[in-house]
Amino acid sequence: MNELVDIGFWPLAVAYLLLILPLAILLLQHVPILKETGIAVVRMTVQLLFVGFYLQILFRLNNPWLNLGWMAVMISVADGSILRSCRLNIRRFAGPVFLALFAGTAIPVLVFVGPILRRPGWLDAQYVIPLAGMVLGNCLRADIIGLGSFYQAIAKGEKAYHQSLAQGARLHEAVHPYFRDALQAALLPTVASMATIGLVALPGMMTGVILAGADPLTAIKYQIAIMIAILSGTAVTVFLAIWLTAKTSFNAYGLLDKGIFRKKHEQ
Amino acid sequence: MKNTAPAIKIDSLAVRYGELRVIDCFDLQVARGERVIMTGPSGSGKSTVLKCIMGLAIPREGSISILGHTLDGRRVWEARRSLAYVGQEPDLGSGTTREAIERPFGYRANQGLRENLQRLPALLERFNLPQTLLDKEIPTLSGGEKQRMALVSAILLDRPIILLDEASSALDQDNRRAMADYFRQTADITVLSVAHDVGWLAFSDRVVEMAANPDVAGKDEDERAG
Repeated sequence: MNELVDIGFWPLAVAYLLLILPLAILLLQHVPILKETGIAVVRMTVQLLFVGFYLQILFRLNNPWLNLGWMAVMISVADGSILRSCRLNIRRFAGPVFLALFAGTAIPVLVFVGPILRRPGWLDAQYVIPLAGMVLGNCLRADIIGLGSFYQAIAKGEKAYHQSLAQGARLHEAVHPYFRDALQAALLPTVASMATIGLVALPGMMTGVILAGADPLTAIKYQIAIMIAILSGTAVTVFLAIWLTAKTSFNAYGLLDKGIFRKKHEQ
Repeated sequence: MKNTAPAIKIDSLAVRYGELRVIDCFDLQVARGERVIMTGPSGSGKSTVLKCIMGLAIPREGSISILGHTLDGRRVWEARRSLAYVGQEPDLGSGTTREAIERPFGYRANQGLRENLQRLPALLERFNLPQTLLDKEIPTLSGGEKQRMALVSAILLDRPIILLDEASSALDQDNRRAMADYFRQTADITVLSVAHDVGWLAFSDRVVEMAANPDVAGKDEDERAG
């Protein structure tokens, strides 16, 4: 197998030239996201340059504490992003959602690096950082769907929720249908992508491993392991995010505390 | 010793939604087996009183006792086992009507009541509801069917106190009469209801008139709660 081919400065510029196509389509069809697209491209470039620079340092130092610190930074950013997207009170839920993200990321990544890849250093930067990034990205998406649908469903369906309480349901019995539906909504995209993987599109990790020069069979084994890691991570994080935040979201009467939502002026 | 405390006792109840005074210094006592109707202009806090009794709204001041037990965050769960509530536009949740009727019997509080479901066919007939309705999805039911199904569900739970919030508003004359007749024949059930229609007023032992609240005049209760 061939080694991974590096992309030079000018060849990369050709990739940017490709942007002419989407920008021309947006311009000709008067799609009003031209500015947003431009900003997104600039942000992507700056963010990835920054990450690349930072990862080089992390890989060179390969200090477990520094790697753990980097994971904590990634989780904190994801934490804020989830709570802002769900319009939930950041001050109140930052701690529980951080814990949920940490567990959802750390458990599958450590299993991946340890028993599966059998690396001597379980916090080896070359493995932990990219794997944590992949799992965390999926945990973020799942938590946005899970937390958002759980609290929105109870707030919007307040009458049905109150009816359950009025019929004698304890808190855990009254919230159970919302918990179940939220978990289903959050996990369904991962389950659906597992069911169609390889048929509809070649997954990112597999493509990366093949481009790096590995045998396709090796790439498939990596992909299987990462898909299972993602499903495990998303299930753990959504379960914990709802369970931990729900502990402080209902009063002694079982009523949802409206203070969990961000006020309009905070949005 | 037999508990002879009133079914419902409310002392100096005050409820606020933010800065708005919804109810101020309200007292009410309902004896066991009594049928009391609350009337009053829109915004006078009638529905809020029922919600406070169910523990679905929390008073700022005052106290509520159910069968002699003062309602608080700890006792509300036990108190709800003595109460049933039917709202004006009941939301029976998702799924089929049968699932909605059976769902409460899965709750731990109602575990010993499952055999009450044997009374379901007779109750459906009594309230002019066809059996085929049980297999229909809840959103396909009309307002009147939902109200009667919610009533049937409340009756099946065998609670000694029933709270009805305009629970006959979507019913025709015959069904209103069927509802009034049912409660007339079950003397051991205490009924506290919010109602406007004359037929329902005739069924009551007592009418409590709630005064208009100047703080909230012209706003309905959902508007204030939201």
